[in-house]
Amino acid sequence: MKSLIKYFANTKSGIFLRNITNIKPVYLKTFDTKVPISISDAFAWRTDNGFKTKFKYSDILELFYNIKNTWVEIHIFSKNNILLKKEKILDLKSSNEFTITKDYLEGIEDYGVFYIYHFSKEKFSGENIISNRCYLGYSKDNNLYSFVYGNTLAKYTNINPKNSYKSDMVKMSFFKDQIYHIQKYFENFDKNELFFSNPTSKTINFSLENKNYILKEGCSVIIETSEKNIIVKSNCYFLRPTVFSYKNNYIDVHHS
Amino acid sequence: MNYFFGINNEIFKSRVEIPIFKNRSIPDKQIKLYEIYIDEKKWKYTNIEKKNSESNFFIIDEKNSSNDKIYFLSKDKSINKFNNDQLENLNDFTDTVPAFRSNLKILIINGGFSSYQSEYPFQMIKSKGSIVSSVASLTNSSADKNYLIFKNIFHFPINEKFNGFFVDIKNKKIMEKFELITNYTNQIEINKKLLNENIFFVSQDYLGIPMYVSTKDNHISFEHTHPLHEYILSKNRYEKVKQLKEQVNEIIN
Repeated sequence: MKSLIKYFANTKSGIFLRNITNIKPVYLKTFDTKVPISISDAFAWRTDNGFKTKFKYSDILELFYNIKNTWVEIHIFSKNNILLKKEKILDLKSSNEFTITKDYLEGIEDYGVFYIYHFSKEKFSGENIISNRCYLGYSKDNNLYSFVYGNTLAKYTNINPKNSYKSDMVKMSFFKDQIYHIQKYFENFDKNELFFSNPTSKTINFSLENKNYILKEGCSVIIETSEKNIIVKSNCYFLRPTVFSYKNNYIDVHHS
Repeated sequence: MNYFFGINNEIFKSRVEIPIFKNRSIPDKQIKLYEIYIDEKKWKYTNIEKKNSESNFFIIDEKNSSNDKIYFLSKDKSINKFNNDQLENLNDFTDTVPAFRSNLKILIINGGFSSYQSEYPFQMIKSKGSIVSSVASLTNSSADKNYLIFKNIFHFPINEKFNGFFVDIKNKKIMEKFELITNYTNQIEINKKLLNENIFFVSQDYLGIPMYVSTKDNHISFEHTHPLHEYILSKNRYEKVKQLKEQVNEIIN
């Protein structure tokens, strides 16, 4: 009987029931895959207000699986989820860099998210799932990059390219009953900004400091905050903003 | 159960903000913060008072930052189980999803600051092993200086020396060997010649958290690298990481 309950609890219907009743909810998608998968975070990029964004990533397929002739694709989206650029990068090293500037985006001074996918044409066992959490550096006014790593698993695709990209790794709640209390004291800063992105295909409703926000599929928003204790309420099980804290001419960027 | 830690040396001081709330719930006013340290080969603890009763954080400021003290949260009941001979998993207050974290900020006096959400999980404290971490991922060749900060917490109250290495994994060569200490926040300056994609930091015998700091014109960047098994989410993740570690260990042995 116990094993039957355990089996049901991990089926699609079981997870649905766990999440609406809030009994042992499942925050992230679990895979039972027959194809090799490359998962990407929704990585935040900024070119607004003197920012540029540096992205550092490893060739995971070469490092762990010794597969040669791999490549990555970087898909850059606007804050309104419009595809701005697709970059295919061959000749990977163990560790690689990619920089998004205003000039690279042909004059766009704004923000959004991008995704990275690893590919190979070599036959690759279906059980394998890789995830590049990577590292992002933000430089303001050409000062030193402040580095942070990826924040939320967002989209995935087949490592043997099929031109199909899926999302909804992060689960949603029926109600706006999920709270996320950021474990940082926002005191003694000139300014704090929170960068939210929607890693799902659904609409996220969230509130912060008694204001309500709507974030549609793949969209992102930067919100300036003045509270010392920050609590985010939402209908998403894993809505974690990236934090930008400012003091004098210095910035500190970290995930929350 | 998570432990928390700080950094204190000639260049950097730390400020650690440890919340009294889980990230999905309200503050627990009954929770207390304990500082622990090694004294005559025994673990000792003291209770740290919260200075600002309005705040939901215990704050270990830069004047009290330390390389050898560590911190944990506990209620009165579980502190009675404290063992002077080895660190124990005393309570589950910090066992949360996402992980329960402090904000660990490092500062240059009259200069910049940088932080990340930091914790040292109990399961790393009981185990021995080696850490492999890419140096290129978080260092910056344009910076004035780059440093590795390596924090080890081990359950026995010992300050034992062990080896750390910068290795070139492509050419299978040790580039630098240096000494690290258990139950301590170690700091190593990284030579600019080592800032390339083939260089990895490797610890021998002991686990820990590898963090990297870059500085330029008083600006700082500070972040830790992911454990290798976070790159692979399939069931074979530990097997794949083990294979890579075996290759690296062949270089240092």
